Amino acid sequence: VIGAAFGVTLARAQGGDEAAFACLFRDVQPVLLRYLRVIAPEAEDVASETWLQVVRGLPDFRGGEEAFRGWLFTIARHRAVDAGRARSRRPDLPVDGLERTDQQTAPDAAEAALEAISTRSVLALVAALPRDHAEIIMLRVVAGLDAVDVARIVGKSPGAVRVTAHRALRRLADLAERAGVTR
Amino acid sequence: MSGPDALPGEMPGFPFPGRPGGEHDEPLLDMIIARRALPPDAPQEMHDLACMLAALAGPGEPGELTGEAAARAAFARSASPVGLAPAAQRPMRRHRQSRRPRRPLLSRAGLTVALACAAAGVSVLAAYANLLPGPVQRLAHVAVAAPPPPPLRAAPPPAVGSLLSRSAGRTAPARSPGPAAGMPHGPGGSPAHGQPHTSRPPAARTPAPVRSTTSASCAPGQKHPAQPGAEPSVVPGSPAWWLTPGCGGVPGAQPKRVATKLSSAPGPP
Repeated sequence: VIGAAFGVTLARAQGGDEAAFACLFRDVQPVLLRYLRVIAPEAEDVASETWLQVVRGLPDFRGGEEAFRGWLFTIARHRAVDAGRARSRRPDLPVDGLERTDQQTAPDAAEAALEAISTRSVLALVAALPRDHAEIIMLRVVAGLDAVDVARIVGKSPGAVRVTAHRALRRLADLAERAGVTR
Repeated sequence: MSGPDALPGEMPGFPFPGRPGGEHDEPLLDMIIARRALPPDAPQEMHDLACMLAALAGPGEPGELTGEAAARAAFARSASPVGLAPAAQRPMRRHRQSRRPRRPLLSRAGLTVALACAAAGVSVLAAYANLLPGPVQRLAHVAVAAPPPPPLRAAPPPAVGSLLSRSAGRTAPARSPGPAAGMPHGPGGSPAHGQPHTSRPPAARTPAPVRSTTSASCAPGQKHPAQPGAEPSVVPGSPAWWLTPGCGGVPGAQPKRVATKLSSAPGPP
C-alpha cells in the first residue's frame, strides 16, 4: 500500500512518469497475480491484459488508492471472465493445478516448516476453497478492499460478502489444520 | 444422516450455530479481515489463520514482478507527456475530428449553394429575357412575373432563319414561329443540305443581314447566296444557319455571334 503518497504518485504516472507507474505496478502486481491465480489458470496473461487496460484508462482515472485498487481488480475480474470464456471454447488442455505443485514440495522437515507458511502454500489452500469463497477472501483480505467494493465487483450485497468471508475464513482454518500448514 | 441433525464432521463447511467457534469468532474474523492485531487470548487457530493471511498479503516475490518490463513498455508506448494528460488528449481528439470531416462538408455545402444561386439567377434572367421555351416561360410568367411567352400561331408560313429570329428576339412573332408551331427545324425535319428547294415562298425570304450571316460561316469556295448564280441553300421552314456547313447546329446560340462577326465584315460586292 502506497498510502499518503498515492495521490502524488498517481498524478505523476498520469503525467507520463514511468517511474511513478512502476511504483504503482510493484505495489499492486503481487496481490493482483495472487488473486488471478486463484480465479484463473492463465493468471499471468490476464494480469498483462489488465495492465494494458489500466495503462489506457489511467489518464481518465480519478480517485484514491482504494478506488484505484477497486478499479484494477474490477478490470482483472472482467479479463479473467473473458479468459474463462475463451478457454471454454478451446479444447481441454491439461493444466497443472496449484495443489499438485504443492504436493511435490516439502522434502524434509525444515523445508516443510518454511514451506508450510509460505505464500504459495496458503494460496494453494485458498484455491481449494469454493470459487466465490476464495475470491472474496482474496479481494477482502489480500487486496484490502472494503465490503462495498467487493460486493460491487462480485455482484453480491455487502452483507452477503461479509457472511461469505466469515465462512470462507472458517473453512480455510479447517483446511489448514487438516493439511498441517499451521504452526 | 441418521438423526434430525447432521454432525459437524458431515458438513464441515456449514456454520452450525452450536459449533465451537461458530458465531463467537465473528469479531476475531472481522479483526483478521481488517488486518488488525488479535488479542493474546484469542484461540491459536485464529492466530494461525491471521499468520496465513499475512503471508498471503505479503510483499511480492521476484517472480511476481516479471511482467513489469512489459507493462512499462506498454506505458512508455502510450504515455507520452502529451498523450497521457487528459487535458491535452481531448483537444487532440476534437482537433482530429473537426479537421477532417468538416472541411469537405463546408466546401460541398458552399458549392451547392453557389450552384443553386447561379442556376436560379440564370433562370430568372432567361425568363425576363423571354428566352425560355414556351411552357417554361409561361410558368415563369406566373411565378416571377416574367414576360409572357409569345402567342402561338397555327402553321405560319415557313421562313428562312426562323430560328435566328426566334433566338434574336421574341418581339417579332411573325418571323419566329418557333418549335411550337410544328415546323421542322432539326436535321431530321429538314431536307439535306445542298438539295434544291423550289417551294420557298417569297414572303419568307431571309433579310439581307441574316443571309450574310449564314453565308459567312460557309465553307470556302461556296458561292454566297447573294452572289449572282448562287443557289439558295435554305429550305422552307428551316433556318439558314442550320443548313450551312460549318455551323454548329445549335439553335439560339450561333446567330448572334455570327451576326456580330459579320456586321464588321465587308458586304457582298
